[in-house]
Amino acid sequence: MKISILAAAAAVMAGACSAQAANIEFWYGNTGPVETAIKAQCDAFNAAQTQHKVTCVGQGSYEVSMQKAIAAYRAKNHPVLIQFFDAGTLDLMLSNAVVPVQEILPDVKWNSYIAGARAYYETSGGKLFAQPYNASTLLFYTNKTELEKAGVTQTPTTWEEVIDAARKLKAAGHACPFVTDGDTWRVLEQFSARHGLPIASRHNGYDGLDAEYVFNTTFVAKHLQNLVDWRKEGLVRLNADTKAGNYTAAFNAGECAMMEGSSGSYAASTKAFDGKYQITVNMAPMYKGYERHNTLVGGASIYVMKGHDQAEVDGAKAFLDFLRKPEQQMAFTAATGYVPVTNDVLDAINKSGDAKAAKYATAAIGIESMNQPPTADSRGIRLGFYVQFREIFMEETQKAYAGQQTMQVSLDNAKKRGDELLRRFEQTYKGVKLP
Amino acid sequence: MTSESTLFSNRWLPVLLVAPFMLLIVLFFYVPIFQAFYWSFFLEQPFGGGSMFVGLDNFARVLSDREFWQAGGRTLVFMVTASSLAVLIPLILAVAADRKIRLSLPARNVLVWPKGVAGASIGVVFAFVFNPFVGILAPLNKAFPGIWAPGIDGTDAFITLIAAHVWSGIPFNFVILLAGLQSIPRTMQQAAAMDGAGPWRRIFDVQLPLIMPQLFLTLVLEFTESVTSAFALIDTITHGGPGGATTLLVYKIYKDGFSGYDLSGAATQTAILMVFVILLTAAQFVFLGRRINYER
Repeated sequence: MKISILAAAAAVMAGACSAQAANIEFWYGNTGPVETAIKAQCDAFNAAQTQHKVTCVGQGSYEVSMQKAIAAYRAKNHPVLIQFFDAGTLDLMLSNAVVPVQEILPDVKWNSYIAGARAYYETSGGKLFAQPYNASTLLFYTNKTELEKAGVTQTPTTWEEVIDAARKLKAAGHACPFVTDGDTWRVLEQFSARHGLPIASRHNGYDGLDAEYVFNTTFVAKHLQNLVDWRKEGLVRLNADTKAGNYTAAFNAGECAMMEGSSGSYAASTKAFDGKYQITVNMAPMYKGYERHNTLVGGASIYVMKGHDQAEVDGAKAFLDFLRKPEQQMAFTAATGYVPVTNDVLDAINKSGDAKAAKYATAAIGIESMNQPPTADSRGIRLGFYVQFREIFMEETQKAYAGQQTMQVSLDNAKKRGDELLRRFEQTYKGVKLP
Repeated sequence: MTSESTLFSNRWLPVLLVAPFMLLIVLFFYVPIFQAFYWSFFLEQPFGGGSMFVGLDNFARVLSDREFWQAGGRTLVFMVTASSLAVLIPLILAVAADRKIRLSLPARNVLVWPKGVAGASIGVVFAFVFNPFVGILAPLNKAFPGIWAPGIDGTDAFITLIAAHVWSGIPFNFVILLAGLQSIPRTMQQAAAMDGAGPWRRIFDVQLPLIMPQLFLTLVLEFTESVTSAFALIDTITHGGPGGATTLLVYKIYKDGFSGYDLSGAATQTAILMVFVILLTAAQFVFLGRRINYER
């Protein structure tokens, strides 16, 4: 009796081995509704097949996830799959710790990814380094109900109109017409990309590690000075100026009437607005006289890490294939507001008859925004230690908002400190060529 | 008198007893410190794979960095203001509690409670307490809009940090100082009182001189601890902002190392900070410690 059980167990194990089963780990950084959606996908993958088992581990934030990945990689204890955000693209490309997804999965139709998403994550040879996962872009949100109360019936599309609307809101007694956190991604990267302005020389670093920051000399300097002036006028509020303490929370609570935000926050906003306010979501505003170019793909993508055996890599491939399926991407979009970035998914949404539904609202606008005519400077950002630069930029511009120094001084300082980062990155990866 | 060797008959027994603790210290203190010193001479790639010996380049880079000196300056300001307050306030409380004024008995108990609260939790609570819209200073903000804005104004943020640090330092220093005060023989106080010394005179001429060892201990611990323990508070209350106004060195090291992947720079700053703390403590012992009379 016992022997037969053992034999059966041995047979099962032998069968499992021959099928190259693997338990793989996937690390992600999101929390809240997005984490729920990620976990649902992991469970769905494990339920849909029996060969591989993915364990999805939430690390609390993109940065913590990356910190742990670095420590784990050094200790040879790292996961096969890790999600990482846009700013770390070059750090990971040169890390020698990841394999380009297009190399591991050569047969996938990678061309179905929209050009904007490809440009951000592909090598100079046109190979995708990472599989875009929760892609987002910058959109313009308004509280339609509040705007109409102040007599603004047309949703603003230019900065001039935004500020006109803000003045009307203020005149109507609104305490917080427009809110932003002054985040680098929102006020520098996405602004520069869609206005066709470079952030750094060498096409934002795409042409070499010897790039230097130039944003302090472009039109973005004027825009940021405007933000300072508008804040003084009471038209623009920062995180710390709001009761909610955070720009999305302030917008969602109805405290502030307009914001520039990630498409990824759409789900939370509509949920908060339900029954109280009407929301509009559109492409981010432009200054008059500037031609609109594409916004950058934000959010995060999934990298395959080196140093795992074939079975684990097979498991990783299967999971990546699963995540790319149109129905998976559609469900993820509907649950979070992140934008699907493959053309087949867009087709599937159009065919589903649900295309006009609110849950897909960000998909159409987000794609439209990312599909605007590109320039060589709107492909993406390929600058080293960029995560730290984002913080430096925030730190310096906060000093300008607080009135300690002018915005131009802030930007000049940020450029200087950013260039030091770039030079150190260049030295750290001496002799390494951009892939 | 018993000599030390008679306490333990086996000479290896004390070594064995200390070994587990020493092992932990070596593993979690000396090894990382050695690693930091080692990395400070190399330019280290975040994911490993390539590290290049650069001699003193990292030190030259860090020491010529304006941000490093600014963070260092903030650390000094924090050290001096926060640690002296963190000793002074418990001292006042301890003297009051020792005098058996009304409610001193429950106060002795209550004042120890914050010791059980982790730095991060204190940070979360103080972020609420000093919130400009719902905190204790909200009425002030209603009367004078914008006067208290820790999210915008660096000075306000710094004050929040100091308040949180002092509060968290009260219990330990209070216990030590109160113990010191209570060990002073009552007869000394009574003798001073009979000679006509009032309460204030007794505090300055009898009590304070006699608790110098305890004061010295709390000051040394506060000074060294304020350099590092502010981390949890900064990470939960201000994140180093606004505009870097609360980026103390210990937070800058964390940021550079973990979100900037600048392992070499962070290691170099760690080495510098550690040497500084060692020198500071040594200086305190040399200049202050010698003058303290431990005999009663």
